[in-house]
Amino acid sequence: MSSSSSSNSPSLNSGKSFWSRLPVELGLLLAICAVILFTGIVDDSYRVKTAYNAKEILRQTSLLGIFALGAAIVIISGGIDLSSGSVIAFSGMICCSIMIYLAPQDDAGNPDTSNLGLGIITLAILGTMLVGLIIGTFHTWLITVIGLPPFVATLASLVGLRSLGRVLIQDITDGVGSVGPSTKIYISDPFFSELGTTWWIPVLVFLVISFLLWLLMSRTLVGRHLYAMGGNEEAARLSGIHTDRQKWLAYCIGAVTASIAGILYCSYVGEANPESAGMGYELNAIAAAVIGGCSLTGGIGTITGTMLGALFLRVVIDSVAKTVKGSPDEFEGMIVGLLVVLAVAFNELRQGTVSRKVFSRVSLV
Amino acid sequence: MILYRCCFSVLTLCLGVASFLAASFLVGCADSQNGGEVTPSNRRIILLTNGNSPYWDAFAAGANEAGAKLDVGKEGLQVVVDRGDFSPEVQLDKLRQYQGATDIAAVAICVTDPKNQALVNELAALSDSGVKLITVDSDIDRNNPKARKARFAYLGTDNLAAGKELGKAAKALKPEGANYATFVGVKSAANAIERIGGFAEGAGEGFTSLESMGDEGKTDRAKKNVRDAIDRHDDLNMLVGIWSYNTPAMVDIVRELGIRDKMAVVGFDADPPAIAAMAEGNLDVMLVQDPYQMGYEGVRLLKALLNDDQGTVKEILPNLGQEDGDIVETGLKIVVPSADSPIKAELFEEGTTFLTLDEFKEWLAKYNLTGS
Repeated sequence: MSSSSSSNSPSLNSGKSFWSRLPVELGLLLAICAVILFTGIVDDSYRVKTAYNAKEILRQTSLLGIFALGAAIVIISGGIDLSSGSVIAFSGMICCSIMIYLAPQDDAGNPDTSNLGLGIITLAILGTMLVGLIIGTFHTWLITVIGLPPFVATLASLVGLRSLGRVLIQDITDGVGSVGPSTKIYISDPFFSELGTTWWIPVLVFLVISFLLWLLMSRTLVGRHLYAMGGNEEAARLSGIHTDRQKWLAYCIGAVTASIAGILYCSYVGEANPESAGMGYELNAIAAAVIGGCSLTGGIGTITGTMLGALFLRVVIDSVAKTVKGSPDEFEGMIVGLLVVLAVAFNELRQGTVSRKVFSRVSLV
Repeated sequence: MILYRCCFSVLTLCLGVASFLAASFLVGCADSQNGGEVTPSNRRIILLTNGNSPYWDAFAAGANEAGAKLDVGKEGLQVVVDRGDFSPEVQLDKLRQYQGATDIAAVAICVTDPKNQALVNELAALSDSGVKLITVDSDIDRNNPKARKARFAYLGTDNLAAGKELGKAAKALKPEGANYATFVGVKSAANAIERIGGFAEGAGEGFTSLESMGDEGKTDRAKKNVRDAIDRHDDLNMLVGIWSYNTPAMVDIVRELGIRDKMAVVGFDADPPAIAAMAEGNLDVMLVQDPYQMGYEGVRLLKALLNDDQGTVKEILPNLGQEDGDIVETGLKIVVPSADSPIKAELFEEGTTFLTLDEFKEWLAKYNLTGS
């Protein structure tokens, strides 16, 4: 593993690595504070409706952060996952399909989704996560057995899963009830809709997943192996690490986190629609990970950095919506794009500086 | 190495300056578009569309014209047209953003998906927060009491009736019947379902639907859908455009394949390319809504609600309080290439205006519009 990667790897901490990795998180925290301060000065929404806006930003950060963490694990392990947007769409469709299959029927023989009960919702969530696990395993199989590059393997899922979802949803809705095929499934159960709309539920899910992944990456041997594989796969393999198993773990974490996000998005939107759900979200996840300090070359990145990267993205998007009174959606892409470049440039500069210091020290010795 | 560091530092500096300029620009935008400091007294009237297409340009023109004529700026109000992306999720995000802002006074929304309960919940929450709310172009599910209570009124087209009128025009073009395909952005959208259903009803017996294809609001895919449908069905002899950009897409493919002699082309709305296509003889009939009027009357109604101007409210909604008195029909126009068309005025309902292309162009010129 490169020296620069060790600076970002909690698993390889020595006394100095904590301080050397601090600037990524510290820089992001400062940037987040600056954006909030700027927004607070330009617009009074943050001052007048502080609690509402804080909850909304945290809820949206969590929805993005959950699958950004999965994307970060894949990136740290030296891969890339372009499929998360489609996995979100497909998972939402699977979750709603399980629910309408198990839902009680109304007088007309159609599924009544207004009162599903905890059992059906739990089964649907578990079934969806299982599908996420299968998708992650399929990605690993394409990469390790067929030999496809990760970019191509997950690109195939990006295109194929959404299309499969569009076909399946019509067959499924045609087979349930008397209404006929439909391109959407609506779920009106109040408890299910609470999952994505009550602000603290996605936040709690995000924090639990973050904690578990932080433990995995910084306190276990498996985490060290993932960093090692991302830094230099061949060296990791020659040193006895089962790289195929590590890849399976990374891609399964990527797909399962996207599935969890798919369930929450589906709950928030109140419907499963594989045509448009999660469109382009894979790039948001990669952007959050990269802003958080992950290097696309692998071996570098942290869980806390990715969490802050997701928060930074959402704060910026919300700031644009609050401060640009005319057409915020027209400005959003430009501003976010500019800030992503700035954040990544900052990281690159920092990594370059670290490398130079190490080089200088070695030279002196 | 030193040169690399220098270049890198200069680039970072440039980006820093650019971000500072962007921030300054944003402040400038915020200031200029609100006539100075942003305070709760500078409030916005938001008109949220379901997506982005030239159809909404006429809507925006009407809204801005109303803003200027009614001098809303004098009362610290600003008219803003905000555009969705045809998905309920973006509308949900925007509705929640409006609730988090302090300067939103009133909202007119073209509802993407009336069956979506999450959307209904957010509309109700926005309305409960004191924001005046109406729907335009596409309404909520009127059988849902919570949704109907959330919005004050609906301004727009009765999409089922509009579909029927286009169906009658199609029947006049092909009295012996036709095999047709419908093309739309989102097949599950309420206005799409109602228009397609209305078309089948209006056309009646002898008309068979071979395909109904969605393009998710993407114009390139809209063209591909037309090409695919023609490839798949040798017996297809009528193309029906449901959303505004579908008609120009159909015209382009029919022209490219040189099959105009065997293909009837009919559609909703009058985008500028559709008007040009009709002038060239490549389009048989347009069913035109009045987005300009929706925008204009929408702003007028919202301003009246904000000022508690009951006189204007009663003028716009004369039957308010009676059954369906909260619905305002903004009118339909059937446009044909010339008086020689087999489609005649007497086929249509009393409220539908029948125009030839030249008469329609005169109407557009009167309001300084390029499409509708």
